[in-house]
Amino acid sequence: MNKVMTIEEAVGLVSDGEIVALQNMATQAAPMALVRELIRQEKRNLGLVCLVGGMAVDWLSAAGVIDRFIGAAVSMEQFGLCNQYRKAVEGGRVRVEELSETALNARLGAGARNLPFLPTRGMLGSDLIDINDNLTLLQDPFTGETVVACRALVPDVAFIHAHRADARGNVQIEPTIKWPDLGIFPKASKKVIVTAEEIVDTEVLRRNPDRTVLPGFAVDAVVEVPYGAHPTSFFPNYTYDTAFHLEWIKVARDDEATQAFLQKYVYEPATQADYLAAVGGAERILELTR
Amino acid sequence: MADYGEYTIDELMCATLAAQFKDGDEVCNGMASFIPVAAIMLALRTHAPELVWLAGAAGVDPRPDRVPASTLESPLWRDSVMYLEQYGDFWNYAQSGRHLHTFCVGAAQLDQYGNANNSVIGDDYHRPKVRLPGTAGLADMGALGKNLLYWNTNHNPRSLVEKVDFVSCPGYLGGGDERDKLGLTGGPKLVVTNLAVLDFAPDSKRMRLRSVHPGVTVEQVQEATGFELLVPSSVEETPKPTAEQVRLLRDVIDPDGMCKREAGVK
Ligand SMILES: CC(C)(COP(=O)(O)OP(=O)(O)OC[C@H]1O[C@@H](n2cnc3c(N)ncnc32)[C@H](O)[C@@H]1OP(=O)(O)O)[C@@H](O)C(=O)NCCC(=O)NCCS
Repeated sequence: MNKVMTIEEAVGLVSDGEIVALQNMATQAAPMALVRELIRQEKRNLGLVCLVGGMAVDWLSAAGVIDRFIGAAVSMEQFGLCNQYRKAVEGGRVRVEELSETALNARLGAGARNLPFLPTRGMLGSDLIDINDNLTLLQDPFTGETVVACRALVPDVAFIHAHRADARGNVQIEPTIKWPDLGIFPKASKKVIVTAEEIVDTEVLRRNPDRTVLPGFAVDAVVEVPYGAHPTSFFPNYTYDTAFHLEWIKVARDDEATQAFLQKYVYEPATQADYLAAVGGAERILELTR
Repeated sequence: MADYGEYTIDELMCATLAAQFKDGDEVCNGMASFIPVAAIMLALRTHAPELVWLAGAAGVDPRPDRVPASTLESPLWRDSVMYLEQYGDFWNYAQSGRHLHTFCVGAAQLDQYGNANNSVIGDDYHRPKVRLPGTAGLADMGALGKNLLYWNTNHNPRSLVEKVDFVSCPGYLGGGDERDKLGLTGGPKLVVTNLAVLDFAPDSKRMRLRSVHPGVTVEQVQEATGFELLVPSSVEETPKPTAEQVRLLRDVIDPDGMCKREAGVK
């Protein structure tokens, strides 16, 4: 079955109020083209799941797209805190369900396997358990030891960015660190939307089946988006855009400047080519691929 | 010739942390962890060549040419022998009880019983004064029997507090045997700051001054701490980094000065 869609069609699969599991680390591998399209389609009241969220979480908070975050951390690491997200949380507009890394893994692992919950020994003694209805203490029925039960989480849709895919939705990544986004997010989610640097003939995938990380039968949409993770890094293809991050952390302190920034980089560029031109065109891209 | 007898505070902190890693230990690093990464790289080049390092909790035995601008990006895990899949593999090993017994923690607040907070400042979790990054792996590392080594480049009463606003990383909780009663093993072992080295008293589990850095007085450390420290009758001076350690850190491991940036050294 042909799964290729336009980015508008793919993001059209997401409805207001749903939960989106977003591939992301502080400055890495975020499907930013999909994030921009969520903002352009003015989605509202989405929940967002990340292990560690970066600039994407900041943008989605600033644009009023999300009202809850489920994950372990939000930060742009060397570039500092995500100040629009921070402001939204401090102002009560975004609610945070903070989970330890093993707890998020347990919630999604239970979701993937259609189990009611999975336990972890993490978090005992922390304040994370009391504030969260999706976590509770449980006696191990075999030994009586205390563990933390983590309720199943089934996101409505997972957003993934990959190096290549074929039209049937088979997805490959180059040898690189595999974050949980590939390990568990797509398996736990009801739908999977993938952007890929390139869409290739299936014969290309057959040369290195060991690099295929998602089978087409479990993928709902593929969209070709070169440099689709910019300004985050997508090794080995390109590194994170330092100048762009520095520009963002400056404007993110000010609401008006933030909206002007989103206007320039999110609302105005109608295509990926327009977006790449706006962020500095060939010159900038060449710097990032060096 | 360069003078390696002079050292900066980040170099002393790296050398102090490095001494905690024994040959054959298994360690990993998380986000924004420049001083721990440099300490690991220093230990590997000096007393602990068999130290096992999981860069970014994923790249096994990497060979980065220097401390890069991020401790959670690809240049750090360059030339690894294996990429562990972050959840599938890393946490299986970290949760096993058999591996990765030591973890370095940095956080916005640390209290007198070694509990750490990187979640929220303020008393209303849902309407915080400051939303911090979040627990990340800290709540797991604090509960899974690891030996926790804290580093803090800004020893002041705001970051070293009597009681954390939120426990993101369980230490000795309310002190005494509270941690044991929950069945938790391991726990906070050492705190390395820009002023001093501290540990925890065996019975009360209260933070205790162990050594002050050269040029720092006990009074200065107490003044910079938001609670009363236990001060033994004799407090030693933290050993200075050796000239060879300074040379390695400055010229080989961190020529771009990422640790200096983290420690605010000009
Ligand atoms: C501790 C940490 C959050 C500091 O990040 P940073 O970007 O240097 O943050 P800053 O010091 O600029 O502080 C950010 C904000 O929080 C506030 N803040 C930080 N610590 C605070 C404290 N103890 N009390 C009150 N406010 C505090 C600051 O005032 C600042 O607020 P402002 O923007 O309104 O001025 C960050 O280094 C971190 O997450 N470290 C953890 C590293 C770690 O343990 N890694 C391994 C596990 S993954």
